[in-house]
Amino acid sequence: MTVTAAGYPTVTPVPFDPEVQIVLDAIALNPQPALTRETLPREGTDAMFPDNDTVIAGRAIDWEDRVIPGPAGAPGVEITIFRPRGSSDRSRPAYLNIHGGGQIVGHRSWETGRVVDIVAEHGVVAVNVEYRLAPEHPSPAGLEDCYAALLWLHAHAAELGVDRDRIIVGGGSAGGCLAAGVALLARDRQGPVLAGQLLLCPMLDNTNTTVSSLQYDGIGTWQREANLLAWSCLLGDELAFSPEASGYAAPTHAVDVSNLAPAFIEVGEAEMFRDEDTQYALRIWATGGRAELHVWGGGAHGFDMYMPEAEISRAALAARASWLRRIWGA
Amino acid sequence: MTTSETAIGSFTPVPYDPELVDGLAAFLDLVEIIPLRADTILANRAHFATIIPPIAAQAEGRAVTFQDRVIPGPAGAPDVEITIVRPATASPDPAPAVLSIHGGGMVLSTRFFGTPELIDLAERHGVVGVAVEYRLAPEHPGPAQAEDCYAALVWMVAHAAELGIDPERILASGQSAGGGLSAAVALLARDRNGPRLAGQLLGCPMLDDRNETVSTRQYDGIGAWDRNNNDTAWTAIAGADRFTDRVSPYTAPARATDLSALPPAYIEVGAAETFRDEAVDYASRIWATGGQAELHVWAGGYHGFHGFSPDAVVSVAANAARESWLRRVLHLDG
Repeated sequence: MTVTAAGYPTVTPVPFDPEVQIVLDAIALNPQPALTRETLPREGTDAMFPDNDTVIAGRAIDWEDRVIPGPAGAPGVEITIFRPRGSSDRSRPAYLNIHGGGQIVGHRSWETGRVVDIVAEHGVVAVNVEYRLAPEHPSPAGLEDCYAALLWLHAHAAELGVDRDRIIVGGGSAGGCLAAGVALLARDRQGPVLAGQLLLCPMLDNTNTTVSSLQYDGIGTWQREANLLAWSCLLGDELAFSPEASGYAAPTHAVDVSNLAPAFIEVGEAEMFRDEDTQYALRIWATGGRAELHVWGGGAHGFDMYMPEAEISRAALAARASWLRRIWGA
Repeated sequence: MTTSETAIGSFTPVPYDPELVDGLAAFLDLVEIIPLRADTILANRAHFATIIPPIAAQAEGRAVTFQDRVIPGPAGAPDVEITIVRPATASPDPAPAVLSIHGGGMVLSTRFFGTPELIDLAERHGVVGVAVEYRLAPEHPGPAQAEDCYAALVWMVAHAAELGIDPERILASGQSAGGGLSAAVALLARDRNGPRLAGQLLGCPMLDDRNETVSTRQYDGIGAWDRNNNDTAWTAIAGADRFTDRVSPYTAPARATDLSALPPAYIEVGAAETFRDEAVDYASRIWATGGQAELHVWAGGYHGFHGFSPDAVVSVAANAARESWLRRVLHLDG
């Protein structure tokens, strides 16, 4: 069960799926030093994963890097655009991807695989956004970058061959948090009307008080310690774990979750975000809002990325693709 | 979440998936043509008898055999009728098995409401199924229903060799009332040190007599198995004990104070139905103990949507997700 020797969960965790456990055991053979505020990787993170052409691997998908205007008074924002080659005579749905990494690590290129697969399967245009990370840029800098990317995508829909009524914003982990934040901002600023928000194992609650946040203390992927660090970097010491934090930063604190874009919320049963994600779905439904919730048996945080061949990963990807088809009609 | 005293009428329901709207209308016209009230239970039973095809018709042209049996009921109670559904070609190896518990609010319907699922499972996966005819309320208040179902489970395990089943791979499964009773059977098996179930498949399960969640308020007078039908059924089942701690957890599993050490659960429900919140709550309480519960809440789904609107995109996905779980818990091939 235990993946690192350091952890002592005080609450019995839900066990990992057997196929997930095998991968966790393999990861544990090569333990990585814990993330600290001082050692957050920055240099070279854009080259840790295969480049776009390697990921595309001959599929008929074109890509292009651009720098678009950032939020008022802030630097420009780097994006990568992926689109199906040819047949630009019709407008396509669009996917705005926001990468994970606790909002303290990562680079959009880490998720090129996920983005390209969506483009290939659904024939949509995708924009993968590079947002500023904490602690150098605390909340809401990263969120505002993502929102700026949505505004740009919406404003340039015609140029991009995008149907502006079929834009889905999404991401995993921190990307799910930011996607939920973008959906809240778009509603509250009367911005673009989103077709959906794809929230994959989203990081939503800074208080770290749920049962699941205690069950995965020292075990699994994205453990409690990393999450505490992430929220500290993002919100500063005073608000780090406070229920007073902004609902745009920590969407579980959004007072009003009505009239949001339809949500797809997916999470593993064996991870710390399970309960906050389930709660978010419950609150949306209570307003009469649309949300689909999947809690996959024995899934660790990001199981579809860590163990893509596992039965639950394949099943989760199929359910996800079904929801995207229902929203996009593609 | 809110309390039962919150103003009624202020609850906006989650909308249906547009692709399910016609199916819901057809469901209401066929299945729920008579609103379920205390004085229409018998009329609803008579109606159900006209819409459930006999097992011979269900099995016609399918690669299955079926057999009715009478097995011992719970201590001091009448015998229990069951129907065994087997693949036409028996495997030499012990087969996975499913105890099928039908829906109908514990006041309606027969075991043949659930046999189509057993026929599918027998054909696709070589599953041996047992459909159990449990006593209905109000003539037989809870937990008579769960006791009958549990008796069937005990019989299956005792007759595993004769049935050609693997006693380590038995699932309790049902929709609606059958989902609630599958949960109850899992509780009974744990509490009596009975058979070790491989899993409990809780389809849009009916778990809580209190009828006080947000979703029970959102589907008040609309949708399939709305708040009022549910209210009628629970009063029939629990009688004067309803709304009190005297309701047995084997009648209303949400009443169980301990949800630890249960077999892995699969809990699926539509986002647009009465049972949504109690299903999510049951999963959450299982997780809090370290127990396993895979949860799927399908966008815009009405009560029983995937069975009645099987071709909708959301239903296809729901059926695929359930298949995946069956492969994992029953160790099925492919």
